[in-house]
Amino acid sequence: MSLKILIVDDSKAIRSVIKKIVTISGYQIDQIREAVNGKDAMDILAQDRFNLIVTDLNMPEITGMELLNWLKNNETLKEIPVIIVSAAGNFSQKEEALKKGASCFVRKPSLPEEIRQAFYEVLGISGHGK
Amino acid sequence: MENSKKIKKLLMNAIYEVFEKMFFVFLEPVERNVKYDMVASLNFDGSIKGQITAYFTHGMIENMLKNMLGPQANSITDEMIEDCAKEAVNMMGGNLLHKFDAEKAFYLFIPFFEKKAGVFMKQEDASTEPAWKLFFESEKNLLGIKLNIITA
Repeated sequence: MSLKILIVDDSKAIRSVIKKIVTISGYQIDQIREAVNGKDAMDILAQDRFNLIVTDLNMPEITGMELLNWLKNNETLKEIPVIIVSAAGNFSQKEEALKKGASCFVRKPSLPEEIRQAFYEVLGISGHGK
Repeated sequence: MENSKKIKKLLMNAIYEVFEKMFFVFLEPVERNVKYDMVASLNFDGSIKGQITAYFTHGMIENMLKNMLGPQANSITDEMIEDCAKEAVNMMGGNLLHKFDAEKAFYLFIPFFEKKAGVFMKQEDASTEPAWKLFFESEKNLLGIKLNIITA
């Protein structure tokens, strides 16, 4: 299966790093799109469907937590797995995100291996299913 | 005094972890003023409230970007520099607060950036708020960090 992935982060450098990690993780990628905050992500999601969303929490306009709320309350989008990659990673925030339906939480700073592990947990190794 | 030492140790560990994991930069503490080219700051709120400020030399940011992005960092733009500085201070702040109290929720504000040169000095400033100052060097590039805690 080819994957369509949406990466949401206000840092272009972080988006590039995540993009690089997912690209070299052995998945068959159809498309990777980038959004600069939750609002931008909502606009993109209104027009296109994705297999996975990777999002930061602390972003201007609409935060990652607000985006997660919106996604999980949307009948057509709620099944999309969401990986949170964020510097704001205290236990209560992690717990809240997981309770709201995030599939995985990676706290920054993180090694590429930790992000890759999150992809494996959510998508299965090399995209061949869990 | 004991608490002050604890915060300094947590801050140092938070900084090392961010620079080593995200930027592959190995910092060495130094006893010297930092002649900086840019500043990035992050305010935070929660069981402690305050601000962390990072004073970067251009060379330090350039090195961080090159290590993080590889060939993509061949032509470094002002936008990339600002982005990298803000993300670094965001992660240092988040990591410090996580180390300080992983159970409590802290709110991290959006980091801000100023491209201004100056000297970050070791000598005490007039502020009465508790502040910690740290100075680092890596491959002749310099970094200064200031942590202010407004309420604890």
